[in-house]
Amino acid sequence: MIERADELMIAYQKGDDEALGSIYTLLKPALYSFIYRYTRDQQLSIDIVQDSFVKLQRYKHHYQPGKGKVKSYLFQIAYRLLIDKLNRRKKWQSFMPFLAPITKEEFHHTDRLTIREAISNLPDKQRAVILLFYYHDMKHEEIAEILNIPKGTVKSRLHTAIQSLKVELEGDFNESRSL
Amino acid sequence: MNHDPFKKEHHLRTKLDEYHVEIPDFPMQSRGKRWERFINFLASPAKDPIEPLISTTAGFAVLKLAPIIGMAVISILQLFFFL
Repeated sequence: MIERADELMIAYQKGDDEALGSIYTLLKPALYSFIYRYTRDQQLSIDIVQDSFVKLQRYKHHYQPGKGKVKSYLFQIAYRLLIDKLNRRKKWQSFMPFLAPITKEEFHHTDRLTIREAISNLPDKQRAVILLFYYHDMKHEEIAEILNIPKGTVKSRLHTAIQSLKVELEGDFNESRSL
Repeated sequence: MNHDPFKKEHHLRTKLDEYHVEIPDFPMQSRGKRWERFINFLASPAKDPIEPLISTTAGFAVLKLAPIIGMAVISILQLFFFL
């Protein structure tokens, strides 16, 4: 699928505008699920996916096939847009705290910690690493490029995230052992 | 080659696999995007700014007294300026 996306991107760079639609169909689910798992905000995830594709069109010639996959390039664009947007939101919320939207956790509260909540509770930097590694089968090098951090940092954040998740889901782990 | 840190984490893998995301149907670009986002912003639920005041009796009293005190201050200021 990824090779296909790369081929389509090359075709798009050469002027085949229809190829963009196929890239969108191929990569939209992965990109949306990454952003959604990171933010748990549907509207924000849709906005970021759409903005990423607008940026991909604008900077289509910046993509160099020899340097990496188009999936990584698109995820890099999306991650930067997402961080900018979240930082801007934080600034607004520090000026006007009552503008803070009600999070879903306030609507649904269960005593048992689900994997969704455990991932949401992870620090932002660890969350991005574990999502890209586990759900998107990305290598350390690709994650390092997307997040703009050294490869060693990816490894250490991944290790810490796994340990944190195990601690968060401790009840479940003990239950499964006793069964 | 990357070492797989999840190799021995069977239970964690099972839990992570439970996390499915439903992909909504939306176009690559939406028309009137800025306007649409503004409407979404206005329509999104937000926290009640006076909720901390209502939840305590002291806060509730402050909320009731604040307009009276405010009006008194404005009246005194007007007396100073116009008399």
